[in-house]
Formats: sequence, C-alpha cells, structure tokens
Amino acid sequence: MNRYILQRFLGMLAVMFVVVTVVFVIVRIAPGDPASVMLGPDATPADVAALRTRLGLDRPLVVQYVLFLGQLLRGDLGESIFLNKPVLSAIADRAEPTFFLTLFSLAIASFIAIPVGIYAAYRRGSLFDQATTTVAMLAASIPSFWLGLLLIQWLAVRFGVFPVSGYGGPGASLATRLYHLVLPAIALGIVSSALILRFTRASMLDVLGDDYIRTARSKGMGEFRVVMRHAFKNALIPILTVLGLTAALLVSGAVVTETVFSLPGVGSLVVSAVLRRDYPVIQGALLVVAALYVIINFLIDMLYLVVDPRVRY
Amino acid sequence: MKVLRRTLLAGTVALAGVAALSTAPAWAQAKGGVINVATVGEPPTLDPMVSTADLVGIITQHFYETLFTFDKNWKVTPLLAETMPDISADGKVYTIKLRQGVTFHDGSTMTSADVVASLKRWMDLASRGKQAAGFIAGVEAVDGATVKLTLKEPYAPLLALLAFNNAAAVIMPAGKMENPLKEPVGTGPYKLKERKADQYIQLVRHDGYKSRAGEPDGYGGARKQLLDEIRFVPVPDPNTRVEGAISGQYDYVDALPVEAFPRLQNQKATQPVMLKPFGWPVFVMNTKQGIMSNLDARLAVRTALSEEDMLTAAFGSKDFFALNAAYFPKGYVWNTDAGTEGAYNIADPEKAKGLLKKAGSEGKPLRILTSRQYEFHYKMAQVAAEYLKQAGFAVELMVVDWATLTQRRTDPALWDIYITHSPFLPEPALTGILSEASPGWWSTPGRKKAVDAFNSEPDPSKRPALWAEVQKVIYAEVPAIKIGDFNALSAQAPKVTGVDPAPWPYFWNASVSK
Repeated sequence: MNRYILQRFLGMLAVMFVVVTVVFVIVRIAPGDPASVMLGPDATPADVAALRTRLGLDRPLVVQYVLFLGQLLRGDLGESIFLNKPVLSAIADRAEPTFFLTLFSLAIASFIAIPVGIYAAYRRGSLFDQATTTVAMLAASIPSFWLGLLLIQWLAVRFGVFPVSGYGGPGASLATRLYHLVLPAIALGIVSSALILRFTRASMLDVLGDDYIRTARSKGMGEFRVVMRHAFKNALIPILTVLGLTAALLVSGAVVTETVFSLPGVGSLVVSAVLRRDYPVIQGALLVVAALYVIINFLIDMLYLVVDPRVRY
Repeated sequence: MKVLRRTLLAGTVALAGVAALSTAPAWAQAKGGVINVATVGEPPTLDPMVSTADLVGIITQHFYETLFTFDKNWKVTPLLAETMPDISADGKVYTIKLRQGVTFHDGSTMTSADVVASLKRWMDLASRGKQAAGFIAGVEAVDGATVKLTLKEPYAPLLALLAFNNAAAVIMPAGKMENPLKEPVGTGPYKLKERKADQYIQLVRHDGYKSRAGEPDGYGGARKQLLDEIRFVPVPDPNTRVEGAISGQYDYVDALPVEAFPRLQNQKATQPVMLKPFGWPVFVMNTKQGIMSNLDARLAVRTALSEEDMLTAAFGSKDFFALNAAYFPKGYVWNTDAGTEGAYNIADPEKAKGLLKKAGSEGKPLRILTSRQYEFHYKMAQVAAEYLKQAGFAVELMVVDWATLTQRRTDPALWDIYITHSPFLPEPALTGILSEASPGWWSTPGRKKAVDAFNSEPDPSKRPALWAEVQKVIYAEVPAIKIGDFNALSAQAPKVTGVDPAPWPYFWNASVSK
C-alpha cells in the first residue's frame, strides 16, 4: 500500500513536470504578448519592447524556463503581470466559487442521474428507459453556454428568481454568493448528468444480470433491497470513476459557464490570463489544475478500496 | 475661434427616454445610492498612464484627474488647472496655474511638485506622453501653485494630449507613482475602495473632493459626487450584459451589440442609449513593406471596396451606421470633405484590376489581419475579401485573437492590411495613423509637410483648414481607408439620471431616484 502511494506520488511529480514544461513552451510560442495587451491599442512598438524588457520577456526562452523552474522549486508560482499579486493568491481568491460550483453541479447531476440511471437499467427496454436514454443524449449535446443563456432568460429575466450574473457585490454574504451559483450549477449539473446517467445505467445493467442478483432474488429478497444493496453497491466503481472525472473537469474550470455567468472562478481566471497572455497565471493555474486532477484520481482509487474489498494495491 | 456647436449630447440620439436619461435638472437629483455599471471586462491595469485601452480610461477617470479635460463642445477646459494656460507669444512656454486646496485621496494636498513629477512620469511611460515629450524641453515648478512647460517648438496638440483620459497625464502624489503602480491615489471625486479582479471595482465618494464651481460641462465643470458608490462589474459576455440590463441587475451597461436594440426597447428596468456616431472602423495599410507599400496597389484596394456593403454586413441596419468619408463627422470642427470626392464607396473591381496591374501586384497574396474579438471587424473583412478577390487580389484572411493581432501588427513582415477602429477623438493629432511610428508606418514628405503644419499652428482658428490639408494627403496617399461611422449602444436604468451619453461614460454627476 505504502509503495503504491509512493509510486503514485512520483507519477504525480512526473506528470506535473511534463505539464509545466509543455505549458511553458506553448504559452510562449503562441503569438501575442502581455505587453501589447497591457499598453493598449495605441501603444508604439518601442513602448511594447520596453515593457517586455521590464517583464523579462526579452530573455532567451531557456533562461526564462530555468528561472521559472528555480522559482517553482522554491514553491513560488510567480507574480501575475496584470493582477499585481502572487499567482497562488490569485488562484486562492478564485477557489471559492469554483469549489462550490463544482459541489453544487455534482450534487445536482448525481441527484438527477443516479436514481434515473438505476431505474432505467432496472426497467431496461421500457418506454422510461428509452425516453431517458434519448433525453440523456440530448442533454450531453447541449452546449452549456446555450443552456446557461436560456436559464438566464427564463429564471433571471422573466421570473426574476435568480441574479443574471456575477458573484455578489462588496460585502456580499456567503449565502448571497452561493445564491449567485444556483443558475450556473443547474446549467452545469444538467449537462454533466447526461454522462453520469449513461454510466450508471450501463454499470447497473452489467451487474443486474449477474448470478448473485439471481440468487438474492431466489432467496426472496425485496426488489428494492436487491437493486440498492446488491446491484448498486457493486456497480459503484465505474460510477465513482465518472463522478471523479466530472469533478476534475469542473474544478479545472467550467470555463464557458463561468464566462457566461461572469463568475470569478478558476476557469475565468485561466481564460482572462490566456487572452491577456498573463504567463505566470496560465502556468500556475494549469499546474494547480493538473495537481488537482492527479489528486482526485488518486482519491477515487482509494475509494475503490472502500467500496470493493476485492481491490488491493 | 468659431467652434461649431457640437456637443456629445446634441450629436447623440438617445433613441429612448433621452429626456429622462440626460437632462434632469440638478435640483431633481438625489444624493446617495449605488450604481452597478457592467463593463466589457476587467481592465488590464488601473494605471491610466500606461494604457491606451478605453476601459482603463472609463474607470480611472473617476479617481484620477488631469490638468485639463474636454467640455461638452470638446474644447479643452481646465480641471486641476485653475484656468487655461498662459501661452507665450511664440507658443513655446505654457504657464499653468493650479487650483488651490485640491487634496489627494490619501489626504495630502496637491502641489506643483506633484504635478511636475506626474508630467515627467507621463512623458516617460505614457505613449501619448512620449509623443509630447519630443516637443518638450522642460517641466518645472515656478512656485507651489504654478508649473511651467517649455517647448522646443510650438506644438498645438499639447493641451489635447494633457486633457485626454487614456495614456493620460493624470496627477498623482509625487511619492505614490511607482511603476507598476501599487495603489491608485488621485484627486478624483471617487476613490478606489476595493478591487476584486473579474468581480468588481468598488469606488466610494472622496469626501475631501473639491469640485470646480458652476455647472457640469461635459467632462469639465462641476463634479457633483451624488452617488455614494460606483461599482464597475466586468461582464465579458455581451448576451449576458443584455440580459443583465433587462433584468435590472445593472444600472448602466456599456458596449452592447446593436442587434440587441429591439430587445432593450419597451423594457421596465432599462432603456437603450445610442451614441451616434461613436467611432470609425479603419483598414490600416502597411506602407512600409509588401504589396501595400505601392500606392497604386493601395488605390486598387480603395477602388475595389464597397464601404456600404461592409458596413451593412457589420452593423445591419442604417440606424447603426452611416456612410461618411470624412475623418470627423458633422458637428465636429474638424469635419471636412477635403480630398474625399470620388474616393469613397467606389466598388469598382474592374477599375481596381487596372490599378493592381499598374502596381504589378496581380496574384500576389494580400494578407488581411483581423480579429473576431470585434465581430464587426471580421464581418467587414469577409465582405472586403470578396470585393478584393473580384479585383484580382489573392486575399488571405488572417483571423487571430486581439492580443495576437496587436503583437503581429508591429512586424511589417507579417501583414498587409489590419483592421481596427477608434472612437471619434477630440483632437486629430491623437489619431494613430498620423504617427510614423504606429503600425502602418506612413512616412512620406507629403505627410510630414501637412502634419507638421497642422501640429505647429498655435492659432485654433487656423487649425481646421490645416486639418483639411492633412485629410487631403490621407486620401491622396491612402495610408488607411476609413470605412464609415458607427454608433454605440448602451443601456441605462430609468431610475438613473445625470449621465450624458459619451464615448467614455462617466458617473460623477449621476444619481439614482429612490
């Protein structure tokens, strides 16, 4: 077990190194630079060159990379060019909306997808099953920004139940801030539920045909107990996997949804950093996201131990 | 100087509820309240000297002030200066008296030392400051309340440059002007309380503010500070801005797509506000290198294009654009038709073909650099490409994001035409294409003669005629093609009064009815 954890940890370091290097190279070979963005449309080339020098962007790529790695080893992700604050602090500022948005979206998605998926599998081939599969396919095909705009038009503009966008003004309480997350969470939850539903259904179908289910039924066990205690428990591993992957995707920033709803989360931080070519933020945010990905995957693997005693590392 | 009656307000058609929006008498305005202003995004910086971005100017003009600004007729008027400067007979020495008792947000009093340090920083850092610095021999404090600017030669645009709100000559305390700026401390009617990037910028009333006497007059005159707070909220998605206006979540919403106009009409929580005209799209030619360095090839492009079709594709209805060859629209003192006859909206690909043949550039690739950041740029590029193909150009559309465009345009090897736009500026000398250093690199004896004559004429009454000469040279040498005039759409809640439609909207005279 300890050896497995050590292996995973080393693997994580290797992944991070690759991510760091790839991101560093990609953002720098991509055209555009932060100096032009900061100085605005009427800046002269000389102004841009002077700012590039001040930001250290005129140094050879290798020098910049070595300096960046050195910083990283000291635990320093650098300073945002535009926000005038350390990258880690910029990411920490954005963690709250992203964390709660992920939590709410997953809760909504699971609340819809898991019971419906179980029932659809249980009533395989029925009208309910067919309708569910069709709706899930449609939900998976809906662009989240479109669904977001639709929700804004109906629930925010027409009925005035929720705010259109933002994350609350100065001094907004946690309740107010969370209230701003309801619409984006519904939009993301609906889209994410499609994948979870299909996995739940497929996974349940696999186990519902197994011998031990037949045995449980032949012993006179109630259907609810058979489905929930025997079938669902054994179908959990793939469902947990897909939940984990969905969570990782959401944590890495529901980029489009955050932009449509003007949420100051990690996704919008990355988008604005890319548009402005705020290199330290792009690098730092993607590094943190990659770390979260690896950690979430690791935690899911650990959860397998809990739900399935046969699993050993 | 006989200045044509031109006010932003008069030039503006607020298509709905204009009376309620902009002309409420002072006594009807209540003190107190907060407004939420939805903007296109997060400003790249809060240092108005270092950036020419409009968004930076819109926000920072509430907490930083300049020595001069523009009144409702776009005439330069004093702001932190007590009066207009005393200019020597040879036009080389500007003596500026400062207002007394003006305090910064940190409580310190503005002195001539702060002004001298700020102007030096402006000349070092700001692109417009650098433009002026080439003409400035020295800046010095005469006494605690007087500053003297000495020029190497007369330079007429100086006051406009000192008055402009982006790459702005704002006055900062001498001890708080590091670069990058750590803490914005100005003299403006509002001060920065909190900035949460991508969430809000919260400004609160500066209690120590000393307003000019009298009534508001454009960006000049009295600044009333009626609101307790102004919050600028970045809402990057244009559709969300529209919905935010209709729902009443935002009291003022900037930069809306013109297609949203019908949706904004007859709403309870908001009304459309049209700024007509707002600005002009332009195709800038790379005169330094490549196919467009040849005058006949540039003439061929102009002859091929249908500005009308391009504007229609970009803005739809004629309610939102106007065909206009002049670089300044009617109502501006600079408006003139000089040089434009037969040189606009020609749409004659056959004639263009002849010019292209004369240039020897048939079949050579014509690289048009554009961005979808501004969708109307892209739509114009698409229409232009079709007309140019008919004229025999091998058009290559290079569609990139805005950051890439602003970088690529600095390299003459990478493009032949790039597309941009500008609001109508109060002073022609602020126009980018007139500078030899700006991408396009227009540098000819004709340009030098006309622009130098315009820039060195100190008598305001003679300058419009000299601008007409500059426009003639622009049309003769085609360093750029002005496509037309376009309008800007914003939305404003009916409960908000005291906001005059402006290219860089300001809220220090705004109030909200309870």
